[in-house]
Parts: sequence; C-alpha cells; structure tokens
Amino acid sequence: MAEEILLDVRHLTQVFPLGRHGSVKAVDDLSFQIRRGEIFGLVGESGSGKSTVARCVMSLYRPTAGEILFKGVNLCDRAACRAHRTMLQRERQLIFQDSTSSLNQRLKVWDIIAEPMRIHGIRPPRGTYRAEAEFQMHYVGLDAGYLDKYPSELSGGQRQRVAIARALSMEPELLVADEPIASLDVSIQAQIVNLFRHLQREHGFSILFIAHDLAMVEFLCDRVGVLYHGRMVESAPTSALFQRPLHPYTQALLSAIPIPDPRLERSRTLQTFSPDLVSLDGVLVEEEPDHFVLREGGRP
Amino acid sequence: MTDGFQMVGIRPVPPSESGRSAPWYRGKPVAAAVVLAVIVLGCLCSEILMTKDPTYLDLTNCNVAPNREFLFGTDAMGRDLFSMIWYGGRVSLLIGILATAISTALAIVFGAASGMAPVWLDTLLMRGTEILLSIPGLLLVLLLQAVLGPANVWSLSLVIGLTSWTAMAKVVRTEVRQLRGSDYVVAARCMGGGFFYLLRKHLTPNFFSSILFMVVMNIRSAMVAESTLSFLGMGLPLEVVSWGSMLSLAEKALMTRAWWVIVIPGAFLIATLLSITSLGNCLRKQANRKARNL
Repeated sequence: MAEEILLDVRHLTQVFPLGRHGSVKAVDDLSFQIRRGEIFGLVGESGSGKSTVARCVMSLYRPTAGEILFKGVNLCDRAACRAHRTMLQRERQLIFQDSTSSLNQRLKVWDIIAEPMRIHGIRPPRGTYRAEAEFQMHYVGLDAGYLDKYPSELSGGQRQRVAIARALSMEPELLVADEPIASLDVSIQAQIVNLFRHLQREHGFSILFIAHDLAMVEFLCDRVGVLYHGRMVESAPTSALFQRPLHPYTQALLSAIPIPDPRLERSRTLQTFSPDLVSLDGVLVEEEPDHFVLREGGRP
Repeated sequence: MTDGFQMVGIRPVPPSESGRSAPWYRGKPVAAAVVLAVIVLGCLCSEILMTKDPTYLDLTNCNVAPNREFLFGTDAMGRDLFSMIWYGGRVSLLIGILATAISTALAIVFGAASGMAPVWLDTLLMRGTEILLSIPGLLLVLLLQAVLGPANVWSLSLVIGLTSWTAMAKVVRTEVRQLRGSDYVVAARCMGGGFFYLLRKHLTPNFFSSILFMVVMNIRSAMVAESTLSFLGMGLPLEVVSWGSMLSLAEKALMTRAWWVIVIPGAFLIATLLSITSLGNCLRKQANRKARNL
C-alpha cells in the first residue's frame, strides 16, 4: 500500500485542565495515518477520546503535544496554518452527531448548504447559490422541494443529509464525521452509512469515521483503530481486526456485537475485560502486516 | 436514493376541531398600539395638523388657557401648545430612536465580542462594562455633554446612546456565550466564517428576540433622559421644541397657574411611554413563550 498519506497524526496528546488542580488526559500519545481515499474508523467506548481526536484534527483544540500533518501542513503550527488557511478550511469538513444543533434553526435549507460557498466567496458553478444547493441536495438524495424548508421541519435523517450536503459542497479531501449516525434510528443509520459509502466511491475523499457501532464500522471502513482511555490499543484493516482481534480489549469489544440469530446469540459467551490486566504503558507493535497492537514493553 | 423504503402503519389523525379560535386581539396590547400609532403618525404629519407656527412668539397671547383658537392654550412666550406638541414630538421620538439605534449597535457588537473572546479578555471587557454601569447614568450624560459642547438633537442622541448600552451588552454577552458552543457556530468557524459573518448570520438572529424587550424599553428611557435633561436645563435649548424642552417651562408655569403648560405635554409623554412599555411587555412575554416551547 504505497498510497499517499493525507492525514498523519503523530504522538497526539491532549490534556484538559480540570479547575485549579488536576487534569484529564483525553488523548494519550496517539498516532495513526489516513491514506487518500480511505475510510478510517475510530471506535471506542464513550469517554475514550474519539471526539477529542476529531476536534484536534479540525483545529478546534490546540493539542498539548504531538503533531498533526494534513497534506504536509502541520496543524499545530500557527504560522503554517495561517499560510494555508483557505486550503485547510475548504479541504477539511466536519459532520456532527446532533444534526439538530449543527444546523441554524433560522436559516433555510438552501442557505445552509450554500453557506461555505458564501463564506469563501466562491462563484457558484451552476449559476446561483440556490441551483448549487439543489445540485448538492440531489446528490445526497433529497428532493428539491426541501430547499425552502427550515431544519425543524425535516426529520433527523434528512437533517443529517443536509449537513452532509453542506460539507460536500466544498468538495473536501477529508471528511471528519463525529458519530454521524449515533443520534439516528437504525433504519436511517443504514441509509446514511450507505450514502457515505456511495459518496466516497463517487468523490474519492477520505473519511475519519468516528462511531461506537461496530457493525456499521465493519460495513463502512477500510481500516479501524480501537481507542481505549485515549490510547490506540489496536489498529488494523477491517477484515483482519474483526477476524483476528489480538488485543484483549478489542476481543471484549467485538464479543459484544449482537448476532441477529437468537440461537447463536444465546450460545455464545460475552467476554469480559478487566482493565487491571492490561497496562497502557506499552508501544504499538506490528504483529501482522499493517496490524498494530499495543504490547507492554514492546514485547509481543 | 429511491430504495423502495416505505413506512407502514401510519395512523391518520383527523385535524382537531376545537371550535372557534380565539379573537386575534386576545392578549395583544391593541389600545397601546393604537395610541402609539396615533401619536407617531400625528408627529410625522405635523405639517397637516398644526394650526399655528410652533416657533412663532405671539406676544399678544401669552399664557392663554385652552380655547377654540389655541386648542391646548399657549405658553409664557405665546407659542401655540397644540402645534408644539406635534412638532416637538418629532424631536423626542427621533432622539429616542436614534439613541436606541446607537446603543443597540454598540451593545450587540461589544457583547458579542466579549462573548466570543477568550476568558481573560471577556473578563476584562465585562469588568469595564460593570465600571461604566456603576456610574450614575445622568452623571455620565452630563459629563459627555459638557465635552461635546452645546446640545443639539444629534449630540444629545449620541450622548444618550453612548451611555445606555451596558445593560444590554451584558445580556448579549450571556446569550452569545451560550450560542458559541452550539455546533452550527463551530461548523461556520471551521468553514472560515469571520466574527462579523457569525454575528450577522448566526448570532444576532438567535439572540435578538431576548433583547427585543430591552431595545423597546431603551426607546422609552432615551425619551425620559431627553425630557429629564431638558427639564434640568442641560438638554435641548428652549428654542428647539421638544416635549422635554416644553416641560422645562413648567417651573415658570407653576407660578402663573398655567396648568395646561405642564399637564398637556406631560400627558402626551406619559401616554407614549406607557404604550411603549406595554408593547415591550408583550414582546417579552412572546419571547419567553417561544423559549419555553423549544
């Protein structure tokens, strides 16, 4: 796999101060890479630092240590960021979990979709902003009749599609999706995940897909990283990870996926994971090609 | 994306027939709106209504009680009060609206800047605002007016506007602090929207309903400030006709038992202020109701 690396996160650490004394280490020495045209899934329980990673990648937080390289630009370097500001603002786009709060209630749908083009003063290639919004909506599977609606008049799935259309109107290289399906119900989740896959194949952009739904990650992602207490415990291509999980935490996590067959579901045992057994002080070791596992002291 | 997806089991709900709807004027300040409309229209069309020249000193008719020729009587200098009311109302309303526009613009920009700023700058700006807030308003007005020199309509509006934005700025700052964490503001910032873009597109439309009451009340307090200053002799000079400068004749009128010189401009001022207050209260109730329904 000698493909171009789009996003390179190196030893990212993010510490949040908690009042006068004490602090929380949300992300601890995290490294991963996203190649061009790849969907990278980041999974982990709540509080494991997934969203913090997303916000660091979007430059919403300033990392405590480590560096993030996007197309060779170091996002932790203010001067470099300023020099490439327009490129960074266009080529990274963020999709939120809660589509209700990520769309301004007082703007109409077409206004929302045209917003990034307005900010950057891009002349709409299809004549007017409205026509452009209509085109983008068609792309994400929304009827043009919704152009003049307000977000509160749409369903959750439709709102999420509007948010996706807004992000895609800039034709980004990297889409950061922070649990984009977590607030939707199951049938709509499937629609949105299908939409992501379809759009990714069409446009060829990369996605950092953050989720806690393992089944969706298995379906959508090319590679998966498992996060535990801010540390990457395992990272591998999806099929390898789901067939041969090596780290005990990953094994426990995967054993929690429900199987849609009651007989199988009853017969299997849920693995438990005790945090005492695993030390987080290890280093990532490449056990198989492209399959990294956190091992204590660097020994397998 | 036509994937044959279909909802089943949707139960049709007949629209409820709750009888006749409430009359449109229920709970709305109709009387206040009518009074205010009459006064504002009267002031705007003062040329048509005026029976005399409001600045003409008719020295043969000083301190005449209301009669057929002088509907509201005349003051000590022989000016016709009826004409002065409509003519002077313009100045009073203009000062009220101009001062409010100035203070609202200041409050929105300053409050939003403070709300979006990092904590240390926010603290600094807010402590500054509180210091301004702690100085009695009248004192500040007098000070500024002294710096600006002799009062006219524009300088008085500017002075009143510059001294009445602090309370509103604090409300704006609180609202912006809540709004700035919402995902759509974060998204717009990621896309590269600048401060004034965010303010215009995302912030102001979302917090304006909560300061609308204060904006309306600001018109009222600006008019009160103008009258107070003119009454004290620090506002508009006597030859500029306004409700305030008319009231400043009151002390002399008390000596001559010319009640109409005080009561009539006072009644107009109070009617206007009450109507504005009533409208403002209604707006506040509406804003609260909307917030509760969300």
